[in-house]
Order: sequence, then C-alpha cells, then structure tokens
Amino acid sequence: MTREHRAHEPLVLGIETSCDETGVGIVRGTTLLANVIASSMDEHARYGGVVPEIAARAHLEALTPTLTTALEQADVTLADLDAVAVTSGPGLSGALMVGVGAAKALAVSLDKPLYAVNHLVGHVGADVLTGEDVEHPTVALLVSGGHTSLLLVRDLVNDVEMLGETIDDAAGEAFDKVARLLGLPYPGGPEIDRAAASGDPTAIRFPRGLSLPKDMEKHRYDFSFSGLKTAVARWVEQRRDAGEEVPVADVAASFREAVADVLITKAVAACRDLGVPRLLLGGGVVANARVRALAEERCAAAGIALRIPPFSLCTDNGAMIAALGAQLVAAGRPPSGLGFGADSTLPVTSIQA
Amino acid sequence: MTELTIPTPEEMGELGALIAGQLRAGDVIALNGELGAGKTTFTRGLGEALGVRGPVTSPTFVLARTHPSLGDGPPLVHVDAYRLSHPAELDDLDIDFAASVVVVEWAAGMLDAVVDEWLDITIRRPVGGVESEEGVEPRLVTVEPHGERWHEIRLV
Repeated sequence: MTREHRAHEPLVLGIETSCDETGVGIVRGTTLLANVIASSMDEHARYGGVVPEIAARAHLEALTPTLTTALEQADVTLADLDAVAVTSGPGLSGALMVGVGAAKALAVSLDKPLYAVNHLVGHVGADVLTGEDVEHPTVALLVSGGHTSLLLVRDLVNDVEMLGETIDDAAGEAFDKVARLLGLPYPGGPEIDRAAASGDPTAIRFPRGLSLPKDMEKHRYDFSFSGLKTAVARWVEQRRDAGEEVPVADVAASFREAVADVLITKAVAACRDLGVPRLLLGGGVVANARVRALAEERCAAAGIALRIPPFSLCTDNGAMIAALGAQLVAAGRPPSGLGFGADSTLPVTSIQA
Repeated sequence: MTELTIPTPEEMGELGALIAGQLRAGDVIALNGELGAGKTTFTRGLGEALGVRGPVTSPTFVLARTHPSLGDGPPLVHVDAYRLSHPAELDDLDIDFAASVVVVEWAAGMLDAVVDEWLDITIRRPVGGVESEEGVEPRLVTVEPHGERWHEIRLV
C-alpha cells in the first residue's frame, strides 16, 4: 500500500479498561502505531484476583501517562486523530467507567467522533493488525480470566454470533481456583503451567465438562469448568483425608490437560460442523503452552488454519479497540454519541454500543 | 430452619426458580457452600426465572455482576464475596440493594453490617471421593431466614 493511500485510512485511538489492564492503542486503518499497557495485576495479587475498586483507581492513575506514551510512540497528536474508540463492555463496571469517561471527555474536547465497542469483538479485531490477510468467516475462541467464548465471526463489523460460552466458571478462573486448592499463588494460570511441567497429564482422568452425549444436544459449544473444579477438589480432599501427600505436579498436569482438551475439542468441532476452516485464538490463555500446542496439533490434523496473534495483542489492550473502531469508521458507521454507558454484560451481538 | 435434599443440578436450578417467584426488589440471599457445591447453579435458575439478561455465570473474577431485567422487574446483582476480607469492602461495591435482588455467594459474616434482613441458604456436597462424570450426587440444602421478610418463604 502506498503512503498516500494509507493517509486516507482513519487514525483511531482506542481505550481499554474492562479489567486490570489500562490499554491505549493507536492505529491507522490496519497498521499498528502504538500499543501501551499499564497493568495493576501486582496490586490485585494479595487479594487473589482483581478487585474492581482497586482496578478503577489504578485505571484513573494510569490513563493519562499511558495516553501520553501512546501518542509519543505513534508520533501523532490528539488533533491528528480521526476518531476515538473505547470498550463499553463487557467487563467490570467501575473499571469500564474510567475508560468510558475518559473517551467521552476526549471526544467532546477534541470534537472527534466517538465509537463505543464490544470488548470481545475487539479481541477478534486484533487479528487485522497482524499484517496478514484476514479471511472471514472464522471461528474465534476467546479465553481469559473473565471470559470463555466461542464465536462465529462472519463479518467483523456486522455479524458476530455467540456459538457458546461458559455456563459457570471462566477457564482462567478455573485455573485460579484450582491453584487455590493446591496452595499455589494467584494468578493461577502460570503457576499451574509451571507445576504441570513435571507432571503426568494422564495420571488422573478429570471430567471434560459438557462433553457427554446428553449435554451435547443443548450445550454443544458451551463450556463448563465447575464440575472439573469440584472433581479436582474432591480428589485432593480424599488424598489429604487419607493422610497422603497430594501429587501437585500430576494434579496440575491432569487438570490443565482436561481444560485444554475440552477447549480445543469444542473449537475444532465448531469449525467442522459449520464448514469454517479457520480458527482464531485470543485472550490471556494463549500464554498457556499446552493450549497452544494442542490447538496446533488438532488444527493441523483437521486442515484448519490456526491464527494466534502476538501475545501483546491477545491479552487486553487498547490497540484491538482502536482496530475495531477503525473498521467501523471505514465501514461508514455513525459514531455512538455520548448516550452510552459502561455495560458489564454487553452481549457480543452488540459490536458497537 | 428448613433442610432439603436436592438430587440433581437441574433440581438445584428449579429451587432457585421457585424462590425467584417470591422475590422483589430489596431482597438479599446469602449463599454458602464450598467450591463446587452448586451456588452458581442455584443462582442461574433464580436468574432465569427472574427474567434477567443472562447468562448467569460465576462472578468470582469480577466480584459482582449486574443482570438487568428483560421485563420490568428488578435487576439481579450476583456477588462473590470470597475475596472480600471485610464487610466494608462489600459496601464499597456500591450495590443498589433497595432496587435490586442481590445474591451474595460466600456471604458468611459479611451481611449483618450491610443489610437488616436476608435469607441464608447453605449448600453441602459430599466431601472427598470421586464425583461421577454426571455430577449427580445429592446436595443438602439448609434454608434459614433472618428477619420478618422471610417467614413466609415457600420452598416446595
């Protein structure tokens, strides 16, 4: 693409504050110019998870410096922007409100159009920034501390369907809770990963949630990690009651295998059932080595093209929100105005609020 | 105090639905029980019957989630207090108790500083042993009212 052509693409600033990461990203069309993230995870660690009030305060403190750094990195000024985009949901209400408030203030003071966008669709939108051709439809598996969703994306700005999601615990949350059971610190994902490295994933056969024939009728693409968590709890309790040592490495490896297996089995089944030979992974769980390896193995066997954007675009970030905003601008969508608010349970069908 | 035996997750959801039919704005339910007892399953049944926007899933990660009504009823606020160390932190969540139905998981010791009346529900599961793949072992449910509001509650 020539530089001249690129100059016509919208320059969009994206703000993301749905959880514990304060993210500000700047894109021009599908070109990433800046992706700056401030995390408050360390502040939450002593509580064993994100605390909304702490997150909101941390966002408030981090937002201005993050914004300044992003503008410097992208080498643009606020006046250069064509539009501002912000995550309006789903997420933590108090945390979302900080980003929404900041985005409204920017849009009003700069007299720029404002786009309120869906956090989950933003994760899918990150894929346009990888510099490769993005083909639709695609199935997307988004897994993080707060989300476990399987989406069918026919068109990023027009047509995103929720195929299934967790009916109880998010996958990341199951990692946190099992870590708690095993006496490992928060966040549980990396801790379980570390403990699992020396364990036998076939040592204990833990249940795969919603995979029985009776469940597959109603919950074909839904996930459940509550039964798995209970199974691990009871297995560990039984060992402790008998005065035996708990084989932490084997429990961690077997648990991780159960989670990875059910996630990838259902995602690949969706691709096959719907005749969509493309799968996109997103969310913090792509950091999990076993989930990535299993996805690569099974997609290769099934002839499915697997896409995993760089980790910095998979975890929560502002660049993905800017990218989705730029797609909406390019599609000629009217801005959201100022009438929207933070919506903690915004459905995925609402791509733009 | 009333004790019930709930044989399956489906029936746990139905108990939630039965209680939902008797709720109004301002009501608070405290749910107790160890990991995997069935607290979220109960709340899912309650939320579906209240007619709020779902899905009702575990609030552990977000601490509190507001499900707006799809009709003209009150919203459901679903709270997980496990990670809160003091009732003041529950108060910090700025929940609109008066206008909502509030379900608080891991509520033990958290509520009396914040509200006057609530319905205590404790769910017990078998400890140790192996949960079958179907997870259909019965749960023992204890229901205990706190305050006048709850004396008329119907459980069957």
